[in-house]
Amino acid sequence: MTNRLAVPFHHPLLRTLWRNSWVLGVWLLLFGLLIWYSTLIPVFGPFQIASITKNSLPLVYLAIGQAIIVVAGGIDLSLGALLLLSNVVAARCMEGQPAGVVAAIGVALVAAMALLNAFTGLLIHRSGVPDIVVTLATSYIWSGLALWILPSPGGGTAPEMRWLFTGSPSGIGGSYWPPLLMILVPGMLVALWARNTRPGLTLYAAGSNRTAAQLAGLDVRRAKILAYALGGSMAAAAGLATVAITGTGDPRFAVGASATLNSVAAVVLGGIALTGGVGNLFSVVATGVTLIMLNPILIAMGVNSNNAQVLQGVLIAGVMMVGGLSTFLRERRS
Amino acid sequence: MKSSTARKQKNHTRQPQSWLAENPLVSLFVVFLALFLLTGAVQPNFLSINGVRNTLLQAAPLGILAAAQTALMLTGGIDLSVAMIATGAAYVAANQSPNGAGVALLAGTLVGLLIGSVNGVGVALFRVNPLIMTLAMSGILLGLFTAWTQTVLAGSTQMAPFIKLLGGGAWMGSVPYSVLVWGGVTLLVFWLFRRSGWGRLLYAIGDNERAVRLAGVRVWQVRLSAYMLSGMLAAIAGMLLGGRTGAVDLQLAGAFLLPSVAAAVIGGTSIFGGVGGYTGTILGALILSVLNSLLTFLNVGQAIQQMVYGSIVLALAWGYASLMRRSGS
Repeated sequence: MTNRLAVPFHHPLLRTLWRNSWVLGVWLLLFGLLIWYSTLIPVFGPFQIASITKNSLPLVYLAIGQAIIVVAGGIDLSLGALLLLSNVVAARCMEGQPAGVVAAIGVALVAAMALLNAFTGLLIHRSGVPDIVVTLATSYIWSGLALWILPSPGGGTAPEMRWLFTGSPSGIGGSYWPPLLMILVPGMLVALWARNTRPGLTLYAAGSNRTAAQLAGLDVRRAKILAYALGGSMAAAAGLATVAITGTGDPRFAVGASATLNSVAAVVLGGIALTGGVGNLFSVVATGVTLIMLNPILIAMGVNSNNAQVLQGVLIAGVMMVGGLSTFLRERRS
Repeated sequence: MKSSTARKQKNHTRQPQSWLAENPLVSLFVVFLALFLLTGAVQPNFLSINGVRNTLLQAAPLGILAAAQTALMLTGGIDLSVAMIATGAAYVAANQSPNGAGVALLAGTLVGLLIGSVNGVGVALFRVNPLIMTLAMSGILLGLFTAWTQTVLAGSTQMAPFIKLLGGGAWMGSVPYSVLVWGGVTLLVFWLFRRSGWGRLLYAIGDNERAVRLAGVRVWQVRLSAYMLSGMLAAIAGMLLGGRTGAVDLQLAGAFLLPSVAAAVIGGTSIFGGVGGYTGTILGALILSVLNSLLTFLNVGQAIQQMVYGSIVLALAWGYASLMRRSGS
């Protein structure tokens, strides 16, 4: 553990770079992939940028939410189900409503999901049942509720809402600025908040060593509940983005389950340790987009979509293996 | 150690509540019995030999998958690819069915062993977090088998008659063969966990991996073999499932993934390792199967079914945790 924290450089700039090397690495990887992708397809312009950013939005939001919870020492397998719930409630209530009402519903949803998941966090604390088990159970409850609210795909939303997340009132084409800002701004704000404010640092402290944080006078319980609340609100945002992109609500269990799994994958690839307390939240924005981009890249290369899924799995396992092998070799030597 | 046994005896004579906390399996059995009787109240036909047989038939594949999960959870691991391993093994068994049931069963089991080994190498040697390794493996398998169902495995959806008999048939018309297979797996798992040195190492690694390594154990070998066992058990469960339905598709075992984890957790196996056993898991699998029957009989629709299922899993896990805390404090 001490090896990870040792900094081999003394110049302040180099030291900052070294400390954030994983964030830099994943962003460089993303830009490399983007450049490579642009050479693979005949036309690479605003349409492709808009398409990649808007399609990444739900996963990136979910991954940011997951990252906050993981940093605070938890893990939430119900985020995908919360995405479903937010998606179907939005689709059901927003259809045919004017922009003002739609905005109010959106804000109310984000707040309600934050409360709902804060309750989950409280439940984890009170029951003493591991996070993974509680959230596994609540994932059933929320996706059942979603199915109850909207038994089959349907519903809709306002054009203004679609413009906000996709850059076009119809969800197709349009400007790439709205989705690009929607993807970068929340990620940056959350990352800065977590690293520079007292409550944010409390999350890191609680995740890295719960007992030490408590003995240092921090309210560990409140930190964890706060992390779950933020995770819930990000899942609500992901559901809103989904309804804006697809124009409908979709209550299928499998959609939520695969979204949860992808969010965990994005978090791990982003260098955030599942043991808690380690990692920069901004890197999950890059890994979330990367995971979404792999598919079109592999398809542009002529790989069929099933093999694309295989390669995605191999990539995730491969990246983790490279990191793990060095630990193993070090242990063998000592 | 001495003081805790002394306290145990004192509690034993004083409060029945503490006795329950010392023997959580009894309360689990009471929950199972209550659910079973409740189901009988909803559907009177359920309270018969036939009802018991159906419950066991439903629980057998889940119980075997949960055995795999229990073995890994004891080491602090988890296998989220069991459902895809099971489906893949069933596909390969169906593909080999024209060559005879023996070849088919062997091929299916080998698939499980192979995938389990890859998982094991990733987790034990390359130190990949088990959640991520098996998640990635699940994605890889889904992609591979989706592609293969259109090429090398195309058309192989029918199981050999013997495997169908094994999955859905009954011995002398009364005891389902799949329950006999589950019984065999149970005996093997009990022997491994309780009597073999390997089983003791599973518990030891989950409790304190560093101490085990310093004691001279090659931890990676134990972990690797645990994942191999898990893969094989998942393959067996998959072939039983495929035999029961008679035909194989990609969704064959998907619905069993989360219940396999839930069964082990309800049964008192800690997800962090070192604590638990297979008896509780068996009760967990039975409870979840009866719950499934109950919700099917009530005909409430999938939405309510999911909500009730989630709430009960949560309530049972909470109840178990608070029982254990009371006995621990």
